[in-house]
Amino acid sequence: MKCKKVERFISRSFDGLLKKEEKEELEEHLKSCPLCQTKREEYQSLLKALKEKDLPEAKPYFWERLQPKLKERKRYQPWSLWKQWGIRAIPLSMLVVILLAAVIVLFLPPKDEKLSQSEAFLLRNLNPLQETSTLLEEEGLENKNMMLIFTAMEENNGARRYPYEK
Amino acid sequence: MEEKELVRLSKEGNEEAFSILVKKYKTKMFNLAFSLTRDREMADDLAQEAFIKAYFALPKFKLKSEFGTWLYRITVNQVKDYLRKKGRMKEISIENIKEILLLKEDEAGREEREYAEEQRRKLVHQVIQVLPEKYKVILSLRDIQGLSYGEITKILKISPGTADSRLHRARKMLRKKLAPFLSQKGGNHEM
Repeated sequence: MKCKKVERFISRSFDGLLKKEEKEELEEHLKSCPLCQTKREEYQSLLKALKEKDLPEAKPYFWERLQPKLKERKRYQPWSLWKQWGIRAIPLSMLVVILLAAVIVLFLPPKDEKLSQSEAFLLRNLNPLQETSTLLEEEGLENKNMMLIFTAMEENNGARRYPYEK
Repeated sequence: MEEKELVRLSKEGNEEAFSILVKKYKTKMFNLAFSLTRDREMADDLAQEAFIKAYFALPKFKLKSEFGTWLYRITVNQVKDYLRKKGRMKEISIENIKEILLLKEDEAGREEREYAEEQRRKLVHQVIQVLPEKYKVILSLRDIQGLSYGEITKILKISPGTADSRLHRARKMLRKKLAPFLSQKGGNHEM
């Protein structure tokens, strides 16, 4: 076994992670390798030094000091209540809206509305533009007739003449 | 009252239930922060801030996982943020304790040995501070706090293989840095 692999075995041995045969292999190597023996001693010393003799206690009145901080943060985070409950309410409110819309569509009787002329054309599957142009043309004729009448009246009165006459 | 019940009540905003949880975990969280900063005042502030974050994050906490593990994760992240802002420590002065640590075991008396052991402990903890963050954290969780591999993998969200190799690299790094100061007779450890 190579010394590099042994170092990993030494480290793992302190965590009790070695299998029986790995343990035996390690011990066998250590018997004949003073360098790895030194490494093991160094690891032992290191891990001992890492363990605190007495773990320090938290400073006194920990909760008493924490409580006002919590209260203060709550005051500055009114939306935290929204975060807590509001987010849960979103899907619920969406469901309510969808249900309401479904009720309106399904159960409310349709309003008897009078259709506009273009809507009527659309319903009759006609081309509204074509129909409208006919109407406009008709209106145009009427306008022309009216203009002729007025022009004739003005001619009789000897007043100004219009540039386009027939 | 069971911990899960206390957590459930705390989720509903019951401060009394939360105070019981704080009293149960305050020392552990303070120790974790202290082992990573070596500063009592800062460790106290970080532990308090971790509990505040936990309190406001409780609505998101799933009762399926352990509260302690979740709290450890919050504290680790809190300390990591602080360490990133502070920046890595560059130098440590070991000259004044070098001589004591290099005393041979048989040359030193009992008092001197105890003193040297204390100085070595201080030195080891100082050297940890200059290690990269991820190695510092895993050493603290495993070798200082004594948490199990299972707990560590859950707190850091890493696989057991990653935890194993990261811990080995961290210990190796520390051993190499401290090799001249590590005693020939370390003490009793499980083999």
